[in-house]
Amino acid sequence: MSWFSSHGSRDKKKEHRPTAETEPQIHRSLALTALLEEFRRGRKLQVLDLGPAIGSNVEFLSQFGCKIYIEDLYAALSARAGGGDGEEAGPEFFAEFLPRSEAVSFDVVIAWDTWNYLTRKELGYFLKHLALFCQPGTVIFSLISILKQIPAQPIRFRIVDEQNLAYDVRTTALRPAPRFAPADLNDLLRGFRVDRSFLLRHGIQEYLFVKEGERR
Amino acid sequence: MAWKRDDSPNPQPEPPAAPRPMTSAPPPPPAAEPTRRPSERATIGPSIFIKGDLAGEEDLVIEGRVEGKVDLKQHNVTIGKNGRVKADVFGRVVTVEGEVDGNVFAQEQAVLRQSGAVRGNITSPRVTLEDGSRFKGSIDMEPKDLGRASGPAPGGPRREPGTEAPANRIANA
Repeated sequence: MSWFSSHGSRDKKKEHRPTAETEPQIHRSLALTALLEEFRRGRKLQVLDLGPAIGSNVEFLSQFGCKIYIEDLYAALSARAGGGDGEEAGPEFFAEFLPRSEAVSFDVVIAWDTWNYLTRKELGYFLKHLALFCQPGTVIFSLISILKQIPAQPIRFRIVDEQNLAYDVRTTALRPAPRFAPADLNDLLRGFRVDRSFLLRHGIQEYLFVKEGERR
Repeated sequence: MAWKRDDSPNPQPEPPAAPRPMTSAPPPPPAAEPTRRPSERATIGPSIFIKGDLAGEEDLVIEGRVEGKVDLKQHNVTIGKNGRVKADVFGRVVTVEGEVDGNVFAQEQAVLRQSGAVRGNITSPRVTLEDGSRFKGSIDMEPKDLGRASGPAPGGPRREPGTEAPANRIANA
């Protein structure tokens, strides 16, 4: 249908469309455990999930009674008019992707590994726009790869339990990773501070960023 | 006693013509007609296009196109694989196998099947998204136990005990 994209790759030239046949790997996620502390504060949270709609994640988060907004950033980038290959998404794209609404303010943003699929410039545009939906105390959960190459499509993460994430890699094709350094992220996420950061053995650095200021 | 009935020499003495009166017997009164069983459901076929609101008192399967509110709060609504709905859908259990461009309010459960797509917000105490389904919007669930015990939403209508499903609140607002 027109308003949904196929989950293709943004980088079609590099991808050979092989699919990963392996079982999802399960990794312990210290940042996830820390993030879930936020959900236990007792109030109804508004959560933005930037990954695809995954039933088990929705089911897991439902126990906290939150409102979940699912906006698949990578799918939207892939579906850009003209395919978007080779062209960076500008501020207009992100404004359309996440239309501004005074009524919507996110307490938690789950970015998964989607930022690895943006250029530095795109990430800058996106985070500037995302900041409009954030308030003091807003927590962002992001997984940044420190490896030179990453899967050609974002990994599908499933919350197994409060400590573990299943990594479902859907392709064996690789693409270069932007490898955002902590200094880059600090620069791009002005107004946020790194609350927790964990470097995992398989080359993923987990971050929890918190919007500075006094919570409402 | 039963053994006495068994001993009767000719329990069915009617002549062969006996069935005839049966055929000429008056039809059973209307009250005796079988009522629509709960398992039955109405279907909007693939070639049907409805522009306008739908309401009713039975389950509904939509295989055609509907542009208008589908309001069957007490019943199950299924948008079949060929179904296209461009409006809000209210039901007890709402199952989407086709496409919905609008909000879904399910009193008990919303199910988005693998073939299904929803662009809109889902409000239901239970939401199931199957892998491969397409969804863009928000999902609002109340905790399963909290949903029964919590009071009215700020500014929302007062709830009667046992009728506090979020879909009802919104639908009646």
